[in-house]
Formats: sequence, C-alpha cells, structure tokens
Amino acid sequence: MSARASRSMPAAAPLKQTLPAWLLSPGLPREGLGLSTWLLPAGLVLLLTITTRDFLQWQNLANVAAQVTALLLVSLGQLPVVLVGGIDLSVASVISLTGALMATLPNPWAALAAAIAAALATGLVNGLAIVRLGLHPLVMTLATMTVLQGLCLLLLPVPGGSLPAAVLMLADARPLGVAPALPICLGCALLLGLVLRHTRSGLHLYAVGAAPRAAALNGLSTSRSTVGAYVVCSLFGVLAGLYLSARIGTADPSMGAAYALDSVTAVVLGGAALSGGVGSVRGVLSGALCLGLLTNGLNLWGVSPFMRGALTGLLLLLAVGLQRGKAAH
Amino acid sequence: MHAVVPTEAPVSPPAWRQWAARAIALPPAYAALLILLAATAALRPQLLAPGLLWLMLRQAAPLGLAVIGQSLVMRCLSLDLSFAGVAVAVSYLVTGPLSALPPATLLGLCVLLGLAVGAVQAFFIVGRKAPAVIVTLAMALLLGGAVLALTQQRAPGDAPEWLRAWGRLKLAGAPVPALLWLALLPPLAWWLRQSVFGRSIEALGDNPRAAHIAGLAVQRSTVIAHLLCSLLAVAASITLVAYVGAGSLQLGQDLALNALAAAILGGTGFGFSRGGLAGPAVAAFMLTFLFNFLTSLGLGEPGRLVLQGLLIALACAAQALRRPVAH
Repeated sequence: MSARASRSMPAAAPLKQTLPAWLLSPGLPREGLGLSTWLLPAGLVLLLTITTRDFLQWQNLANVAAQVTALLLVSLGQLPVVLVGGIDLSVASVISLTGALMATLPNPWAALAAAIAAALATGLVNGLAIVRLGLHPLVMTLATMTVLQGLCLLLLPVPGGSLPAAVLMLADARPLGVAPALPICLGCALLLGLVLRHTRSGLHLYAVGAAPRAAALNGLSTSRSTVGAYVVCSLFGVLAGLYLSARIGTADPSMGAAYALDSVTAVVLGGAALSGGVGSVRGVLSGALCLGLLTNGLNLWGVSPFMRGALTGLLLLLAVGLQRGKAAH
Repeated sequence: MHAVVPTEAPVSPPAWRQWAARAIALPPAYAALLILLAATAALRPQLLAPGLLWLMLRQAAPLGLAVIGQSLVMRCLSLDLSFAGVAVAVSYLVTGPLSALPPATLLGLCVLLGLAVGAVQAFFIVGRKAPAVIVTLAMALLLGGAVLALTQQRAPGDAPEWLRAWGRLKLAGAPVPALLWLALLPPLAWWLRQSVFGRSIEALGDNPRAAHIAGLAVQRSTVIAHLLCSLLAVAASITLVAYVGAGSLQLGQDLALNALAAAILGGTGFGFSRGGLAGPAVAAFMLTFLFNFLTSLGLGEPGRLVLQGLLIALACAAQALRRPVAH
C-alpha cells in the first residue's frame, strides 16, 4: 500500500475499522458474538418504536417479556447441547410432558418429581445413546421426542386439566407487573453464563464441541460433558413446561412442539455454531429477544400471525446459511 | 527357486451357516415384517385378506416413494426432513385455487416446486455447508408456514376428479399407485448399481474425502440426490392427495419421521446401504401394516407414536452395534 493511501486510511476506513473493537466482538472468540448480536435486536426495537404506536406501552412490553421468557428458557437449555455439537429436539416433548403431568397427577410435588425424573431419564438416554452407541443426535432425539409425545397424549389426550396454584403463580404478573418467571429465567441465564465462562465444566463443553478428539486426548471426559449437556437441556425443558402451562392456565399435550426448532433458531441467531464449540448466553439472549420482537412486530403490524412459522423458517435458513459449517448432517 | 509350500484348500462353511449369516445380515425390516405377519395371523387374521393387503400396499405407496428419496440423501451423508412441508405445499397446489388448471400444468407446477425445494436445500447444504437437518426442517417450517398464511388455516378444497380417479385406479384388482411404486424399484435399483451417479454416491458415502481426491464429483452427486429426493417427495405427496381425495394442512405430517424410520429399518444408514432399495420398500410396507395392526388392536395415536419412536431408536442402536466403526 502506498504512503499516500495509508495516510488517507482514517477517512476512508471501512465500518469495521471505525467502530470500537468491543462493539464488533464484545466477547471471547468462542462466544461467536459480533455486530449483529446487538444490532439485530436494537434495530428491531428501533423499527418497532418508529412504525408502531403501541410498542413502548407497558402492557405490550410485558407481553414481549412473557413471550420471550419461555423461548429463552428452552434456548438456554439448547445452548450446552449445541456447544457440544449436538441438537436436542426431544426438549419439545419434555415441555409438553411436564404440563401434562402437572395437570393430571393429583399431588403437585409428585407431579414435579415425575417431570424431573422423566427429564433426567430423557437426557441420560439421549446422551448415552449418542456417546456410547454413536447415534446421530437428531435421530436419537427425534425418537425420544416421538416416544414422549405419545406418552403425553396417553396422559392427556386433549388440552385441559387444572394446575396447582404454585405453578400458576409463575406467570402471575399482578403484584409487580412482572411475572416471577422472568427474574427466575434471567437468574438461570446468569448462572449458565457464569458456568460456561468461569468453570471447568463450562470450558470442557467448548473443548468437546470444538475438537472432540483433541479434548479426549487431553484427558477430558467427552461422555460426561455430552451427557451432562443433554440432561441440562431436558431440565430446562421442565422449567419451560411449568412456565408455559402456567401462562396458558392449563396443559396442552402439544404445547412444546414449536419450541424445538424455535430454540435452535434463537441459539443460531445468537452466533452459536451448530458444528459445536462456539456460542454464548449473551448470544442466546439476543436471539430469543429477536424472535420475540419479530412475533410482537407481526402482531403490531397487523400481519397474519400464521406468517410467523414461515418467517422463523426463513430466518433459520438464513442464519445457518450465513455461517460456514463443517458438519455434513 | 521357491520351496513349494503345501496349502490347504479353503473349506467353505456349511450351507446352513451361509444362509444363517445372510439372514442375520438382512435389514431389521424383514424380521420385523415376519414377526408382524405371525402376530397378525394369530390375533387378527382378517387383516391378511388379499383385498386388505392391496389396500395397505396402496396406503404404503407415498411412504415407499418418500423413503427412496430419504435413502438416496442418507447415502450421501445428508438427510431430508422437509417431506411434511412439501406435502402441504403440493396439497395446496393441487386442491387450492389453482386446482382448476389442466392436469399437465398442475403436475408441471408440482415438479417445479420439487426442483426449487431441492435446489434451495442443496444450495445451503452443499454450497454453504449448513447442517442438512436444520436446513430441511427450516424448509418444512417455511413451506408449512407459507401455506398456513395463504389459507388462513382453512383446509383447501377437494382434489380434482382426475387425481381422485387416478388414486382409485386398479389393474386386475391391484391399485395402480402401488403398482407404479413397485415398478419403479427395479429400474431405479439397476440405475443406482450401474450408473456413475450410483457408484459416486457409494464412494462418497464410504469416504467423502477419498472420493473427492479420487476426482469424483462429490458435490454434484449430493446436489442430484437432493433434487431427486425432493421430486420423490412431490410424487409421494401427489399419491397421498390422490389417496386421501382432499387437501389438508395436516397432510403428510408424519411422512418425514416415517421415511427416516423406514430407511433405517430397511438397512440404510449415513453413508451406506445394506438393504438396497428392497429393504426400505419392505420397511415402508411393514410400518404401514404395523400402524393398521395397532389400530385394529385399539391402540390409537399415543401407542403408535411410542412404538414409532422406540422402533427408530432400536433400529439405530442395532445398526450402530453391527457397524462399530463410526464415520
């Protein structure tokens, strides 16, 4: 480059060189964060503020928060699984099964214990089959999703049933205007963020996802990390199931169905790589917020709510298309 | 001068052991079908009446067509889970506002849809190296969502008369859609065995890197496999609409899952096929027969789902145990 050209650099520098580094990549490289992590939700907020009158109304913001809470809970669970290079579709059925158990078993504590036990078993079966037998994560979790969906329909053939008051309280926003589930969800996000960033187990998840063979040769237990990730995902599914059933006030045997792909979309939108080893809680927060804002925007703009599925599909397609993966399937 | 070392003549194992080894090596679908037929003969012998068997074969034709496509892409180390979306889109095309168009135009539009879906999926999977699972699931979501938005959740109308008539067509008592499916299998199997494409996908399934270094058009083969799979998904959807006789937004919802289950039960895995095209075809019939058998026993949707999931998991586990070397 000539001296003259280099002198004129500051004036003609591209956007990437003029913006501060913390904004472009405000995290570690393995977190996969970039400009879009902040610009996408901020742009959506700006667009909705300008184009609609009701967006900044307290009631509407509370609605967005309520919508995002469930998705965020599932996406936080999906994150460790994606970090180890997997995918968990069975979390959808864990959500539905939790609601069905809470609505059908007479003792709420027994129902909660059964839901947690079912989630633990699902996570263990998924993880062990993937680690020990080398099954494809999608095929295995699709199989467990189908089995659990069958069990849901067996327990609760049609939507209905009443929920214990303690569960209904999770979505009750009356005293403070914010449902208790939101701080619980944000607490979970903070905890998971700390675990992923500052603990040995968190680092192991990244290592196993980025290079499983290298991780194993360095003495890490790839099995423990992978099985643990699937168990954590299922447990987040229980939390999401409790909140969702509280929100709709009853149980629906297929209420979790949409969350399997939505959670993957949120995680991928947040910069996580489906091939493993890259992703962060901050990214998941951004991805889930984007999807929540998009749904809210469709409502406020008067676009058919049925378009949401098509738009989620399109977003997912673009998000995975923009990241160059290494996995064939 | 070399010393002459006496060599023992190779002793071939007894014939019964050879047969037993071949039987054990068969895909699980064959054994499952035999057990199912025995259970049906004992518990519900009326299901084995020739008329009902033909009916079940016709019912299995859409799944049979879909599983050919699924096997093709799985042999290329890929996957297609967009069948439900394609089925709903085809159902909308042939039973929606365009249903009055001439049959050739309507079928042409369906073929174009299949090519477009296959091309977009191949672009993301091959060109952008995006995971096939996510791309095809997103495509299913996109197509399903688009049809839902176009119809505002109202079911489209009835299938045109010519399509329904084709669905009912029989030749010497046998349903024509089922015969067409079965007639497609031998030439397709021959083509996959003899053609450059067939041998390329076998090589790339075995070791994609070695196939690429050897100069095979690995990417082109995967693109062709995805295009063929989407076209077969369209054919399966048309057969399904002809069988049902009306459009529906729920049409073919379990086609992707069943096609995956049938492919695995029929001996197809990621990058290999032990059962050729016959294995998945037998598996497609076996699954259809199984669902009818379960319905006759009074087990509804929940029982079917539980069994379906268990079957997929067990078939995968059996496959993994037989093939310990992972790709």
